Amino acid sequence: MTGKAEPKAVPVTEFGVGLEDGEADEFVLVPVDDEVQTALEEMITATREQLNTVTASRYEPSEKYGSTEHLHLPLEDELASHVRAIHEANNLAVNARVLSNPEKVFCYFVRNVDGKGYRVTGIRRAGTFKGVLKSRLVQLATDALKIVEDKIFKLDNDFDLLVENSGISILRPSGFEFVGELKDAILGAAPANIKKLESDLPFVDFSSVESYATSHPRAARYLASICVQKETKNIDKSALKKLCASTGVKIREEKGKIVVEDGSLMDFLGVLDRRLYQVELVKGSPESFRASSRSRIKTG
Amino acid sequence: MPTKVEGLKLARFMMVLSSISPLVVLWAIRGSKLLADKYLISFCAAMVLLPNLFLWLRITTARKLNLKRELVVGSAEDHRDHLLVYLFAMLLPFYPIDTGTWRDMAALLAALSFVVFLFWHLNLHYMNLLFAIRGYRVFTISPPTDDNPLSGRTTQVLITTRVSILGGEHIVAYRLSDTVYFEAKNDGQG
Repeated sequence: MTGKAEPKAVPVTEFGVGLEDGEADEFVLVPVDDEVQTALEEMITATREQLNTVTASRYEPSEKYGSTEHLHLPLEDELASHVRAIHEANNLAVNARVLSNPEKVFCYFVRNVDGKGYRVTGIRRAGTFKGVLKSRLVQLATDALKIVEDKIFKLDNDFDLLVENSGISILRPSGFEFVGELKDAILGAAPANIKKLESDLPFVDFSSVESYATSHPRAARYLASICVQKETKNIDKSALKKLCASTGVKIREEKGKIVVEDGSLMDFLGVLDRRLYQVELVKGSPESFRASSRSRIKTG
Repeated sequence: MPTKVEGLKLARFMMVLSSISPLVVLWAIRGSKLLADKYLISFCAAMVLLPNLFLWLRITTARKLNLKRELVVGSAEDHRDHLLVYLFAMLLPFYPIDTGTWRDMAALLAALSFVVFLFWHLNLHYMNLLFAIRGYRVFTISPPTDDNPLSGRTTQVLITTRVSILGGEHIVAYRLSDTVYFEAKNDGQG
């Protein structure tokens, strides 16, 4: 993978790690030589190649994804705030000794700046990076294997995500969610997302949904996903009530507003997220379904 | 936040020793009542050659291994006046001291070692007349004031032949230490 270093077309390749340190994470640069820089550039290329094998779709927090996908998220999206901060951080401190304490490392990244100042950041969750330290490595010395006693850091073959000014390309959604601190971000965004829904759906009382979503990550993910889709603006009240009734979502009406029963909060969010639906292929026998995953079908 | 441990301690120490080369040259020219010239000049030659050889090696290694990084400029200050600090801290106090006795010599070396330690500890290893002689200037680069919580907040020192650096510029430079960077002549300045 490394091989002999070739002259570079890019002027700078910086390597760094993210450190868990109490309340705040810290990101520092670690100096690496030209061969490691080449290996990191090859990781970016390998990531691009993997991404290019699949058509990109937009990342939605409520979706259940496979281990590798090709997802896209605009850099200015609220869910991208932490990853955006990593990508845009300037003049990071240099600390060559940070890898002497590898258990604090939760991710590593490369930053590649071309001759025109265009920046690409590749980020990888540090599972393998750390894992090697826990296993015993052997190397062939003379004709016998021996334990490697030095600390060895193994780079992976590709990154979990690539960040550019045009947006985030996600290869491994779980890596993106971990590095991007999505769980906390989505929970934190729940009140703001409720406000957006309240303005789009003034005929729904969201108070019970809000208190539930701020403490339940799955509900907060549904909320974030509903807001990402931006498909709540012209929802018809009677159509919503009808779909709730046909999919078993328990609601009642108080003072002209739809109030969701406590036991149906997730299902109600599922209705807004287009996950609960009814088909009637057999006349007089409607069937209701819940979709664990869905994508819009473009007709015409 | 973890305590920041400054790296490249030996390199920084050798760079400080390199920066006292002019003083050592003056000592060699002046001579000593205590040491024969052959010993004094040998010592002074070693004190000049070894640290500067190390500095040259450090710059060569940084270039060979492509140890570059990007510095984003918030503001930059030309610190040619730091050479005056150097003159007052190094050359002027130590050159005129008469080393007629071994105790004088010991006191001189002890005082110089304190100054060397301070230069090393305060990251003033970039002060070097050789850079000025070669036409380099020293700029202190302050980071841009953004609201990104991850951006670095410490100032960096850039040794460069540029005559001015504007805020917002992105400069690619070789790392000599954690805080001192070197932009060689013809390294795509602009």
